[in-house]
Amino acid sequence: MEEFVGEIWHKIITRQAQTDFTQAKAEFVDLQGQLATYFRALGGDPGKNLEGVGPRAFNTKRRLVQRIAGTHRHYPVCWQDDRGLRLPLNLAYFPDNGLNEALYFWQTALAAQLPKMRHWFADNQRATLALLKKRPGLAKGYRQLVEATLKTRPDLNMLEDAEKERELAIQQAMLEPGSVEQLPLANGDPLPVPIWVYPAPLYALSPESDDDLDDMGDGSRAEKELNSGRKQAQRFDDAKQTDGLLVFKLECLFTWAEQVDLDRCQEESLDDDASTADDLDIITLSRKRRAGASKLKFDLDLPSAQNDDLPVGDGIRLPEWDYRKQSFIKDYCLLQPMLADDALPAPIPDYLAHQARVLKNRFSLLRPQRTWQRRQPFGDEIDLDAWLELKTQPQRHEEQQDLYRSRNNPQRDMACLLLSDLSMSTDAGLGANGGSEQRVIDVIRDSMVLFAEALASTGDPFAIYGFSSVKNKQVRYQLLKNFAEPYGDEARGRLLAVKPGFYTRMGAAIRQSTEVLKLQKSQQRLLLILSDGKPNDIDRYEGRYGIEDTRRAVIEAKQQGLQPFCVTIDERGNDYLPYLFGEQCYAVVNDLARLPVLLPKLYLNLTGING
Amino acid sequence: MTNDIHYLPQGREIEIFQGAANNRLPVLIKGPTGCGKTRFVEYMAAELGRPLHTIACHDDLTASDLVGRHLIGADGTYWQDGPLTRAVREGGICYLDEVVEARKDTTVVLHPLSDHRRVLPIERTGEMIEAHPDFMLVISYNPGYQNLIKGLKPSTRQRFVAMNFEYPSPEREVVIVCQESGIDKQTAEQLVSLGNDLRRLKDHDLEEAASTRLLIYAAMMIQSGITKREACTACLAEPLTDEAETLVAIQRLIQAYF
Repeated sequence: MEEFVGEIWHKIITRQAQTDFTQAKAEFVDLQGQLATYFRALGGDPGKNLEGVGPRAFNTKRRLVQRIAGTHRHYPVCWQDDRGLRLPLNLAYFPDNGLNEALYFWQTALAAQLPKMRHWFADNQRATLALLKKRPGLAKGYRQLVEATLKTRPDLNMLEDAEKERELAIQQAMLEPGSVEQLPLANGDPLPVPIWVYPAPLYALSPESDDDLDDMGDGSRAEKELNSGRKQAQRFDDAKQTDGLLVFKLECLFTWAEQVDLDRCQEESLDDDASTADDLDIITLSRKRRAGASKLKFDLDLPSAQNDDLPVGDGIRLPEWDYRKQSFIKDYCLLQPMLADDALPAPIPDYLAHQARVLKNRFSLLRPQRTWQRRQPFGDEIDLDAWLELKTQPQRHEEQQDLYRSRNNPQRDMACLLLSDLSMSTDAGLGANGGSEQRVIDVIRDSMVLFAEALASTGDPFAIYGFSSVKNKQVRYQLLKNFAEPYGDEARGRLLAVKPGFYTRMGAAIRQSTEVLKLQKSQQRLLLILSDGKPNDIDRYEGRYGIEDTRRAVIEAKQQGLQPFCVTIDERGNDYLPYLFGEQCYAVVNDLARLPVLLPKLYLNLTGING
Repeated sequence: MTNDIHYLPQGREIEIFQGAANNRLPVLIKGPTGCGKTRFVEYMAAELGRPLHTIACHDDLTASDLVGRHLIGADGTYWQDGPLTRAVREGGICYLDEVVEARKDTTVVLHPLSDHRRVLPIERTGEMIEAHPDFMLVISYNPGYQNLIKGLKPSTRQRFVAMNFEYPSPEREVVIVCQESGIDKQTAEQLVSLGNDLRRLKDHDLEEAASTRLLIYAAMMIQSGITKREACTACLAEPLTDEAETLVAIQRLIQAYF
């Protein structure tokens, strides 16, 4: 009963205290794609992600009812740091949905104008002024936003002297940006200004962890995912706590608490943890990379034979390049072809059906046209050019009378092998999508399916393989579709059933693919590699060793007359891919969500069918 | 000598081209679509006082389209020179636009012409034509497409004096847009600024950037009385992408200017 009454009271009082216009709410998720393009066009760093963030804590002066209700301690504001631009998950400042949307675009534009902020008050005015001068079309929208914002500002008569002065300065700065230089001091924070960009939260970063493993592969990736969460994160140097005998304590990895120096037992239920996280303003993360990596090593044992895919044959021994010795280690890798024999045949999933149909139509137009072959001994029509030549050059032998032309049924001489990275890192969520459930592997899977649908309709021979690895003794090479098998429900079922796992020993997989593709008799042989990061494995196959071995494998493929091309979703791909594949032989896809559409397009460009 | 064609140099390209012409060297021009490659060659032809033979290459262009073929006339058959052969015989600049689009065999025809030999062998008639002293070979292509098959072979590139063109700097581009369309300077500045915003989207959202040519088109449309927003949508948004999401973002961007 108590709880029931409490809940009703809470509802009533929060409704009383509410100042947002929820019916006019604009959602970040709906606008994200447009905002990202807008941000880049206005000069924002293309490497930055746009991400939704929860509201941020401000110590503002609250009305009595707001204090009773416990609301208005957090406000949605926009801020950016080196990693990305953070926009509020939803905006409901204004009673008009259009205005709230316009606010998103304004915030994005201002943030693009203001990559580094030194002084919140002065820089925002300066950037606003610069933006309006450079792009006069924004002025009208800005006026509307300012007018609407002024209506939401606190009543000047209700404020004390210092606060009133400060509020006046802010309003003046909004109306005429650049006109006020100093923000008068007053107690607490001023009511947040939605049309301004805020600096990144000021929580001092404690020293970097002292174990400088420069490349932890998946470990560091996982860490990045944690950081880019929607909460403000605070680094905490936990060197003291975890020193000593017990280097690895589960409790010390991260606990949902504002950091106090005592261990708490971990909550069992993940849901509880999540709601705890909601209530915290700052989540303290420890940064002990070695510990994180060792955890991964424990996690990823091989599945039991019963649950695993069917191994085909005894495995294939492949060499590996050791750059330190500058020589091959013979038969070092054992590559195990695997077949997902339990995957059921599947039709094209509904959510892909539309795209697949569009691609199919487009690609079926690109089937090689029947063309005329000239100078044939017999055929459908007379070859006038040949006849003409015979007439103009009577000295030619009489028996050379191939004067006909005939239609032929040509094949475009192009074979393509798509090799997909199925390592554990692809299990990570799609950060950019504002906390969507979709994982990288889902996008890779969809890309493979659409790619297969498209290529099946061109008639070009193609094969699809996936790979992952656990040290050199087991490089798992997933047979998804080989060259001989026609593409149908069985192959599609296998594509749809791919699971991520383990690490990325890319060199061995490329070598095997080279062997497979080499046997194709086509003139053009394209080895398309779909990857999400650097090659790595848990043994020495990381950093330079992995890069050098992969590079060697790519060079071998080129020597066999194949054309390797890498498509990566790793933002830092530009750093190492030119070395691995060569300047023109890779592409970095920034917007992961578009990969399924981009991949077939890329194929067209690469093969020059697109004209 | 007066030159009716307007061209605003971006760097030292006029001097380089002149140097190549004086030394009878062939020239390769690289650069994105619509940045002024063709205009530059036209300008230089007028400047040097040589006739210009322009050939827009396409994927069905064969060597015999360049060199020539036999035709039937009233008195039997006769040989008809192709544009390349004509330029070789009579002198002049032969400009092969987007040369990578042409079939592979065409570039081989160019090889003996582009080195010290400067001859054009015609297989069909058994003729070996010495190039006219005023003959000059100019080819252009757009290295932007990531295309494995349609690259220019290193052995072909090796034979040319190469120049790289980029879009002009904003100040120059404003002058160019003003001059070509007759639009007022302020609008031209806005257009160029918008164009530079769009160029930042290359490789991320757009396959190709907004070219100077498109900016001039937009300026011309505005000049002929179409509203600025409509002109920008028609000339700068729709030609560049088909994707709805990107289009909406570009619309927003246009609204930020006009």
